[in-house]
Amino acid sequence: MTFLKLGLWLLRRERASGEWRVLLLALVIGVGSVATTGFLGDRLKRAMSEQGASFLGADLLVTSPRPIEDWPTFSVKKNVLTTRSLSSSQAIEFPSMLATGDAFQLATLRAVDAAYPLRGSVRIAPRPFAPSTPQPALPPPGAIYVAPDLLSLLSASVGDRVQIGEAGFTIAGVVAEEPGQLGGVFGLAPRVFLRADEIEKTRVLQPGSRVTYLYQFAGEPERIKAFGAALKPALDSTQRLIGSREGVETLRGAFANADHYIQLTALISLLLSVAAIAIAAHRHALRHYDQAALLRCFGATTAQLRMLYAVQLLTLGLLGSLLGVAIGAMMQQALAVLVLPEAATRLPSLGLAPVGIAILSGLLALAGASLPALMRLIHVPPLRVLRRDLPPLPVGAWVSAALSGAALLLLIAWYAGDAKLVGVFVGALAGLIVVLALLARLALFAGRGIQRMANGPVRFGLAQLLRHRFDSTLQLGAFTLALFLVALLALVRSDLIAGWRQQLPPQAPNFFLVNIAPYQQEAVAAYLSQHRLKASALYPMVRGRLTTKNGIPIASTLPEEARDSNTLRRELNLTWTAELPANNTVLAGRWHGSHQAAAPVKGTPVGAPLLRSDPSAEISVEAGMAERLHLAIGDQLGFQVGDQTIAARISSIRSVKWDSMQPNFFVIFAPGQLDALPASSIASVYVPPGATGVLPGFVKAFPGVTVLALDKLIANIEAVFDQIIGAIQLLLGFLLAAGMAVVIATLLASLDARQQEAVLLRTLGAQRSYLAKGLWSEFLALGGLAGLLASACAEIAMAVIGDRLFELPVRLHPWLWLVLPLAGALLVGTSGWLTTRHITRVPPMQSLRELG
Amino acid sequence: MTPPDSAQFPAGSSRPLQSPSVVTAHALSQHVATADGTLAILSDVALDVKAGETLAITGASGSGKSTLLGLLAGLDQPSAGEIHLLGQRLNDLDEDARARLRAGRVGFVFQSFQLLPALTALENILLPLELAGRVDARDRAAHWLDRVGLAARGRHTPRQLSGGEQQRVAIARAFATDPQVLFADEPTGNLDADTGARIIDLLFELNASAHTTLILVTHDDALAARCQRRLHLVAGHASEAVLA
Repeated sequence: MTFLKLGLWLLRRERASGEWRVLLLALVIGVGSVATTGFLGDRLKRAMSEQGASFLGADLLVTSPRPIEDWPTFSVKKNVLTTRSLSSSQAIEFPSMLATGDAFQLATLRAVDAAYPLRGSVRIAPRPFAPSTPQPALPPPGAIYVAPDLLSLLSASVGDRVQIGEAGFTIAGVVAEEPGQLGGVFGLAPRVFLRADEIEKTRVLQPGSRVTYLYQFAGEPERIKAFGAALKPALDSTQRLIGSREGVETLRGAFANADHYIQLTALISLLLSVAAIAIAAHRHALRHYDQAALLRCFGATTAQLRMLYAVQLLTLGLLGSLLGVAIGAMMQQALAVLVLPEAATRLPSLGLAPVGIAILSGLLALAGASLPALMRLIHVPPLRVLRRDLPPLPVGAWVSAALSGAALLLLIAWYAGDAKLVGVFVGALAGLIVVLALLARLALFAGRGIQRMANGPVRFGLAQLLRHRFDSTLQLGAFTLALFLVALLALVRSDLIAGWRQQLPPQAPNFFLVNIAPYQQEAVAAYLSQHRLKASALYPMVRGRLTTKNGIPIASTLPEEARDSNTLRRELNLTWTAELPANNTVLAGRWHGSHQAAAPVKGTPVGAPLLRSDPSAEISVEAGMAERLHLAIGDQLGFQVGDQTIAARISSIRSVKWDSMQPNFFVIFAPGQLDALPASSIASVYVPPGATGVLPGFVKAFPGVTVLALDKLIANIEAVFDQIIGAIQLLLGFLLAAGMAVVIATLLASLDARQQEAVLLRTLGAQRSYLAKGLWSEFLALGGLAGLLASACAEIAMAVIGDRLFELPVRLHPWLWLVLPLAGALLVGTSGWLTTRHITRVPPMQSLRELG
Repeated sequence: MTPPDSAQFPAGSSRPLQSPSVVTAHALSQHVATADGTLAILSDVALDVKAGETLAITGASGSGKSTLLGLLAGLDQPSAGEIHLLGQRLNDLDEDARARLRAGRVGFVFQSFQLLPALTALENILLPLELAGRVDARDRAAHWLDRVGLAARGRHTPRQLSGGEQQRVAIARAFATDPQVLFADEPTGNLDADTGARIIDLLFELNASAHTTLILVTHDDALAARCQRRLHLVAGHASEAVLA
């Protein structure tokens, strides 16, 4: 018989042994976690690349906050061509209100022409969930197509009339699918398609309205390429050019980053499983030294033994990995539904690539974890058959450690991608291990005091914890890590969202009124006071792009990494007021008040662009923006507003309480600078819960004004947040399971010694219940301790996150200190008891025989 | 004190009218380094065992019996001296080559039986047969199980067998491959007197019919008395008495 067959034969015979089971279980958990994220990531990536141009709706897409009138010419094979040689389509996207009888809802309107989309298709269904057909996105005159969720939000159905601004439309169908939708799953306002030639009659668009112009192009690849090249230099930083390829790439890149971190989360479970596998493999080796020695006596060479154990390990590895993959395949679907409830059904089916990756990860983890034990097993001296005490020959410890380390590092490098992240990950991991080990040791030290006070079986149980100090530290560390991460996520969810909400003053504004035309301002103010609604001041708003600082293009004044700031890429809402808004505090300089152009400022560089306005005009800048863009009092900033350039000098820097629910601005001008520009106004208002009925009236009275329900917005953000956190928590379930595997593996490893002690105690007259109580108190203490440590870690981490990122005051969570120790005690207690209860039940005589 | 065997005929030489040597040892010593210096476990031991002979190695605990057995079987390397096993000079062979030499040709019986707990009685006998690549492995295993009187217990695991039964399985396992030499380390050490006696009977009965060379370590005089020759170790030094 070959050793391959022999290995399988022995494996089959030993399949019920504890070590193999733990090893398999740990592997299934670890591979399951990486397979889950691997599958989902792969499906999403393929969804993006398989759709290609149809994903973008075109070969080339240009987005701009302003209409683009002139398109550059481009040359292909020395022929100068214009955009007429390409097929093109134009669309305008903007938020607006849709209203029915007494319901209203904010929606994202896309006004399209007959050519839209140039690539891919829009599918329209006669009613939600009905079969859809691909057809142009252009609705019949007087009609619109809406996203299915809009119907439920408005309590409307297909065929109903809705009001957009001053015009009425009929809902003619439901948008079942549209290009690019995968990326917009988290869109907060449902989609509506209407005809571009019918925007006019709604009178929704005002100067200063937030509008995106979408220009789609399609054509021969050569021409598209040349056109793209010619167009790129002509665009400013608020305009974007997306090729179908790079569009997908950009999206995929952004997605890949997120995917990366999620995969790393999964990797933590795998690494925790590695710990469990290593322990199980070690115990397997210990229990097989005799077997290996006997086989050597029978004439087996090291090569044959290597083959035998490698076959066993490989078989288990493949089996565990395949089971893990199967679990991953199931879990990823749950994850998909959780993260992308709408797109889940349209994702491509499972790919094969993640299967290979997950299996390879599993085998690599297994190899890394079990190599040291395996190498010792192979090098057992045959003389051991005569002298049982003979230890296996020492294999160069550094050899096996280096091999294992290399395997694990390879695994981490594989998932982390770049060297920096590998360093960060390994460093963080090492730090975490040290901290957890120290904490665990400290906790065990404290446990000694408690042990002295305890008596009977409890004392015995606690003594066990202290005696197996290395095991206890490992178990405590693994379980603390798992509980800590789970708790942290729960805190992030409850604190950052709910905590923020609770912080709001009781009558904080809950609606924003946006897009108020100048001629409506008085009527709006009158309406609000007539209904006794508490509103903020009305702030005029002009949209402009920050272009220069002291006459130089601002990007060139910034270090490389700061140039990509969002503040530079989009148009800012500029306002003007004489009064410092509530919730704003001047940190430096002085508030400009009603002060208008003072003495001219010296030092405007020669050759600076000709500015339309008075350069001595003053502005106040928000502190965060000033820091990001390296701005200081006295700097002169240039803004591009439409086709005009406006300059002003920074006279104060403000802090803004962004969560105040007031209209807040990065840049506030002194009155007099922007007055002449076309502006719409914004205000916030508090509508008491009982008075929400006044809003449908308001929407009817001012159809062009956008009413943003902050409650709904927050609820939407919360829902998205919940989805993401739910998904990560699902992954943390793997982490908890891996933690339990570590506990079980370490317990199994100490089972022989425990059994010996139990036998001794029982022969000395200890009752079964005494042993059982001892075991329970040991595991409950272990789990409870892990819970306490995890609570402490979570509180500290949360305090740091809350303080650094969200400026929330430090808040303790008493419930955490109750729930986590309880959960820990329950999980560790159960898994510990199930692993060890055997030793309390076996009659001492049988135990003695089993132990030989 | 009887002169050592090696004094009568140098290792490697063969004498006419005698069976060939199966195991020979010459000037065999084994030392271990301890904290207090070198400790001699075996000193200058020599012996020559012919095919079909039975030899008992006796001596007090710690006299070096098991160490000698291990060296003769090629399980360990001596500090000095040379050993020939089945015509091969063990000193020239590395660990793996010695293992290959043992495969199918050397049998073992241990004090603690050394049955694999996961395998049944039959499978334990099957194991060395399979390792030696015997085509009739299953039949032979069943045959030997029957020879030791345990045909009905083939599907039982060691845990379900008594000590005597376990040793019988171990003996069947040792003989099943038709080894040229069989090493037994205290085969009755873990058994009561009655069971031990029955095991001894079985061992010698099988040995007689199989003509296997038998080298056993024991401090059981009854067992030693059944062997043709007896090598007595005192603190690592050997003296031989030929009994039969």
